[in-house]
Amino acid sequence: MKLDLTPILESKRTFRRRAAARPIAEKLRMLDALRERTLAIRGSSNPGPAKKDVTHKEHNTGTWKK
Amino acid sequence: MGIKEVIETINRMQADGVIERYAIGGAVAATFYLEPIATLDVDVFVKFHTEPDSQMISPEPIFRYLRDRGCAMEGEHVVIAGWPIQFLPAGSALVQEALAKGVEKDVEGTPARVFTAEHLAAIALETGRAKDKARVLQFIEANAIDLDRLQEILTRHGLAGAWQQFERQFLK
Repeated sequence: MKLDLTPILESKRTFRRRAAARPIAEKLRMLDALRERTLAIRGSSNPGPAKKDVTHKEHNTGTWKK
Repeated sequence: MGIKEVIETINRMQADGVIERYAIGGAVAATFYLEPIATLDVDVFVKFHTEPDSQMISPEPIFRYLRDRGCAMEGEHVVIAGWPIQFLPAGSALVQEALAKGVEKDVEGTPARVFTAEHLAAIALETGRAKDKARVLQFIEANAIDLDRLQEILTRHGLAGAWQQFERQFLK
């Protein structure tokens, strides 16, 4: 018996389309909730944000570096 | 507490003359065009005031302004309304253009300046990590970008080759 993934993938696409079409304020509130949930899952052992590799601040000079 | 409060605070900073111009980038900006994308921080690109008699840009006035209003520092981030915010300079010509051409969106009566979808996709392509490429695909699959406008941006910033490679890898 083969599993047909087509309806599952279509259902996911529909869900994503509907989520994208929600009002922006609602989507931003969802981001707030997603962040809370992610932090709760991570637990208190690693509460900080992920390190970025774009730029960093030179703490002794207060200037930005790539 | 939430991102809307972050946006209100940044608008106040701009009105108070601490920053000249700002635009939100990264996952939060992408959320304006796509489904919500989980993230732990907010990237805010800013045009800094330069210090008098100096070519150096300094984020210190931003940090001082926010510290004076009770915001905490957390590594490279300032925490506003519970969100770590990273204030980033527009370091490349592409990001400078994205900052200049940022668009204003309405968040329940609060104006928010964000990068255009095309600039977000171009920056993601330039950054080039796996998650950035996945984001470009999200923009395309969601029909959230004008591909002609994206091509113009990519050509202007020497990213036509990166786009061709991306097309070969994911779209053909």
